[in-house]
Amino acid sequence: MSTQNPILDSKCPTGDIETRWDRHRFDMKQVNPANKRKFHIIIVGTGLAGGSAAATLAELGYKVTSLCIQDSPRRAHSIAAQGGINAAKNYPNDGDSIYRLFYDTVKGGDFRARESNVYRLAQVSNNIIDQATAQGVPFAREYGGHLDNRSFGGAQVSRTFYARGATGQQLLLGAYAAMSRQIQLGKIDMRPRREMLDVVKVDGVARGVICRNMVTGEYERYAGDAVLLCTGGYGNVFYLSTNAKASNVTASWRAHKRGAYFANPCYTQIHPTCIPVSGDHQSKLTLMSESLRNDGRVWVPKKAGDSRAINDIPEEERDYYLERRYPAFGNLVPRDVASRASKERCDAGFGVGPGGKSVYLDFAEAIQRDGEDTVRAKYGNLFHMYEKITDENPYERPMRIYPAVHYTMGGLWVDYNLESTVPGLFVLGEANFSDHGANRLGASALMQGLSDGYFVIPYTVCGHLAGRNLQPVSTSDEAFAEAEASVRERTDALLAVNGSRTVDSFHRELGLTMWDHCGMARNKDGLQQAIDKIGSLREEFWNDVRVLGSNEEFNQSLEKAGRVADFLEFAETFAMDALDRSESCGGHFREESQTEEGEALRDDDNYCYAAAWEYQGPDGKAALHKEDLNFEYVKLAQRSYK
Amino acid sequence: MLRWIDRFANSSIGRKALMAVTGLLLIGFLLAHVAGNLTLYADQDGSAFNAYVESISALPILPLAEAGLALLFLVHIYLAVRTTLENRKARPVAYQATGTHGQKTLASTGMFVSGVVILGFLIKHLLDFRLRKAEFDEAPHESIVEAFQHMPTVAIYVVGCTALGFHLFHAIQSAAQTLGFNHPKYTPAILWFGRIFGIVLALLFASFPLVYMVKNGGTH
Amino acid sequence: MKLNLRIWRQKDAAAEGAIETFELDGVSPDMSFLEMLDILNEKLVGEGTDPVAFDHDCREGVCGSCGAVVNGQVHGPDTETTLCQLHMRRFRDGDTVQIEPWRSRAFPVIRDLVVDRTAFDRIQQAGGYVSVDTGSAPDANILPVPKPDAERAFDYAECIGCGGCVAACPNGAAMLFTAAKVAHLATLPQGKVERDARVLAMVTQMDEEGFGACTNHYECTAACPKGVPIDAIATMNREYLRATFLSKEGV
Ligand SMILES: Cc1cc2nc3c(=O)[nH]c(=O)nc-3n(C[C@H](O)[C@H](O)[C@H](O)COP(=O)(O)OP(=O)(O)OC[C@H]3O[C@@H](n4cnc5c(N)ncnc54)[C@H](O)[C@@H]3O)c2cc1C
Ligand code: HEM
Ligand code: FES
Repeated sequence: MSTQNPILDSKCPTGDIETRWDRHRFDMKQVNPANKRKFHIIIVGTGLAGGSAAATLAELGYKVTSLCIQDSPRRAHSIAAQGGINAAKNYPNDGDSIYRLFYDTVKGGDFRARESNVYRLAQVSNNIIDQATAQGVPFAREYGGHLDNRSFGGAQVSRTFYARGATGQQLLLGAYAAMSRQIQLGKIDMRPRREMLDVVKVDGVARGVICRNMVTGEYERYAGDAVLLCTGGYGNVFYLSTNAKASNVTASWRAHKRGAYFANPCYTQIHPTCIPVSGDHQSKLTLMSESLRNDGRVWVPKKAGDSRAINDIPEEERDYYLERRYPAFGNLVPRDVASRASKERCDAGFGVGPGGKSVYLDFAEAIQRDGEDTVRAKYGNLFHMYEKITDENPYERPMRIYPAVHYTMGGLWVDYNLESTVPGLFVLGEANFSDHGANRLGASALMQGLSDGYFVIPYTVCGHLAGRNLQPVSTSDEAFAEAEASVRERTDALLAVNGSRTVDSFHRELGLTMWDHCGMARNKDGLQQAIDKIGSLREEFWNDVRVLGSNEEFNQSLEKAGRVADFLEFAETFAMDALDRSESCGGHFREESQTEEGEALRDDDNYCYAAAWEYQGPDGKAALHKEDLNFEYVKLAQRSYK
Repeated sequence: MLRWIDRFANSSIGRKALMAVTGLLLIGFLLAHVAGNLTLYADQDGSAFNAYVESISALPILPLAEAGLALLFLVHIYLAVRTTLENRKARPVAYQATGTHGQKTLASTGMFVSGVVILGFLIKHLLDFRLRKAEFDEAPHESIVEAFQHMPTVAIYVVGCTALGFHLFHAIQSAAQTLGFNHPKYTPAILWFGRIFGIVLALLFASFPLVYMVKNGGTH
Repeated sequence: MKLNLRIWRQKDAAAEGAIETFELDGVSPDMSFLEMLDILNEKLVGEGTDPVAFDHDCREGVCGSCGAVVNGQVHGPDTETTLCQLHMRRFRDGDTVQIEPWRSRAFPVIRDLVVDRTAFDRIQQAGGYVSVDTGSAPDANILPVPKPDAERAFDYAECIGCGGCVAACPNGAAMLFTAAKVAHLATLPQGKVERDARVLAMVTQMDEEGFGACTNHYECTAACPKGVPIDAIATMNREYLRATFLSKEGV
């Protein structure tokens, strides 16, 4: 067992898991209502995590400044979430409970998450549904007027609440509406089209940020008493992913450079059901929600290289390989399992479509059983989207799908209070690493983002504000000047290269390297190669990138360049983490570590820890620290969905 | 006090609601008007029409009704001009390419134009009859025969009625929507009723000058 | 295929803009419209010309960032489709494609095809919410909502705030956007408590932003990538009349 770095104190309460969160809240220092307005909280990001945090903290009386890249807080990447949000309401009466949601999530995460965090997540999940419903989120309902549920992967109960295929949109608009109310009341100062480029530390505590105003190019300083990073995931390090184009690692990475440890960067979720790549022009990939696996059946022909038309392949010559391999969960196995199974079939030559790089997701049975209208009511917008992109009608022929990068479980390391290793710097939502271990279950990211923002941070931020005798700071502090200068220097350097290659060409090349070596299957040699390639690509970038225009204008190339530059640094840490973890767990599959049936094989003796990387200078230098994980409630066991 | 009225009358929705109400009341007037005019077809010598005009002229509330009618027009026109001007300002830079997703119609985009034509026609109409009230009341039917012997007058009337048809083609269903009525069961019916109603009313009004011209032979 | 692109270029809000013409070869029918602009921009950067600025993010038709008027049609020729979901198979080799930004007094151009839509946020801030503090919500199932109402509310709530309705409206009106929120909340019991104050405040803000007034052309709903139904506007009108004449709000 490794020796634990004292800075990685998770501050998790001990004892009875059911009362941990209660006791922790009770023990925490409080800020009295009159004092709240004296504290100023800076929140970067307005997705589910940032939006819900901003609204709630403002309601409580804090002064809040919110920043986001998009032109409106309503457009944060969370808007794209489709399928649903989990909660342990047990409305369907099928045996769900907080404990079961907790259990499924720990197991789904392949035993690489903290039990305390996950239990708390399950506990507050129900409040989220109540809150969203009260805001007017139009969740799907049964004929009797009560809320409806659907099933998602990795669970044998129906606990996913949804609003057609736009659950994230509706939940985000709920949080955005709550924010809007506080903006109107003057309690949130909302600044859209701002990109955070640095965290400012005063006396070792995060006290502000530097932003670039994306319209004018001006650098702006924001000072406060706590900084909340709610800046989402970094899946775009692969260039092609289901993430929105502006999703980035910049905010996290710059915070990392200021001392925030980066945990488990290699934990990436590759989602099994996405629309396959159609050509070199491809700029992003589109998810077909996991909810489709409620009714869609995944198959490939039994004969390798079978090029017959779909209808010419008789039922008995189709291989419903998920149902075959995992009879207990069938098509609803967790994502990592489903993705690997698709890859396995395609690699073995059974794939369909151009290049054999896809599998069928077939709704014929559901349409026959329930009728086209029912299917349309459940998934209409997804089918519509599929047809738009592929020009094929999924009511008539099966969808063709293939796995794609979708979500990143890794993120900045945080303790139970969601505080990073930089005091006063909190990290919420997908940007942190806390709750999903090595694989996130479907419909759990929305739950986590909103749990962090609505129900966790409002309590835990008090510990920092009340407990740390914070002195007033102003933006004229030396630390702000220094941070601004370093940001300016970096931007100027990007503009000064004036080479010959576009930013996107570097991003694409990085993405290919990542996909080839750090994608669904990883091995030692490949990872080592990746590290070399990333290093040389980074060097080439700084010698040959071409960014036109100036800083003092609306300049999208410059924005992209800054993000790609950060991806190029971060990618190396990512690969190093994957190399270090020479076990398979969840979405991290090391070919060296698999069972005879090709399932992921964990190595709990050596790797039952969260890997937290400390920045130690440019060119991929980083130190690894380990937070040991203990399992008292869910017994460590090989995951099985058979 | 009365701030709410001010707010309402100056809001985009309030103004549109007032236009709809005044417009619908004007349609009510038109219905009465066309019913009266139909007496022209009741006989050959125009005595039915004369009797109708006489009974109307004798109504004690006529001046009040006329003032009300004028007010309806003024309010409707004032709001129409104001709304049209403000709507133009709302898009200071025009598109260079024009296109549509297929919902707007000639009638809907031409409301102001059709309104102005109606107004022009209205002025002519008032000049022809209302402002020559003494003469007209003397011999109503003669006046009609006389007026519709002039080709230009007939032409102006026909153009005016066509404009009215266009205006109402869009207006009735539009007024229902403006006043908050839209229901999957009834709206399609309102749409078609409004369109047909507009065309029929316009045809009826246009028929008077045309029939009289044909009957009595148009001159100069 | 090869296209003849005519694109509005404008350096910033203060600058004069103009249409510029570009030839673009190698466009594949499987590309999305934005991917076509991507390859144009790659080419422009190669030639040392500033790339065309356009807003975009999710590229799957839900964030509402993207949008432009293509040959006079908002979000291009398809129905219920955002610009990012429009695919080049809708065009033919040799086509001329004219691309202009949303045009509205309330949406000043920031650069090229990028406009400032914060007016929408301010309309939302005026009242597009239910005032329920975090933590004070009762159990979600305490208030059953008839399924058709929930479905209808969703139809309105699906608005992505792209601004296409304003751009398509011959009057530059923001009625469909505002109405979508008003109707969404007016349809659900949760939203009924504040309905009168909400509609008065939102409409007042909408007017202050300088949008036009609705004259019922219905171009908005036809151009709307989410097909937000036009009866939303009737509902808002009704709510507004109700709030004005029947409620004690806004005396
Ligand atoms: C297509 C798709 C479908 C999904 N479906 C589901 C689902 O059905 N169920 C589920 O549970 N999860 C789903 N997920 C995952 C889930 O949507 C995300 O994990 C979650 O929304 C992340 O929320 P967030 O608040 O952490 O970050 P985001 O929503 O990504 O928000 C990030 C915010 O940070 C801002 N930001 C980022 N960097 C900076 C910077 N440098 N400066 C200033 N601001 C910055 C952005 O502007 C944005 O406001 C889906 C994800 C995708 C891609
Ligand atoms: C007999 C005369 C008229 C009648 C019966 C009439 C009727 C109507 C009606 C019912 C509407 C619909 C209101 C709504 O949708 O809210 C309308 C709208 C309008 N009218 Fe008139 N109107 C008449 C004359 C005029 C005149 C003289 C003008 C202008 C000079 C005019 C200009 C307009 C305009 C611009 C609209 C707005 C378009 C719209 O809302 O769709 N109208 N009219
Ligand atoms: S980019 Fe999000 S809707 Fe088009």
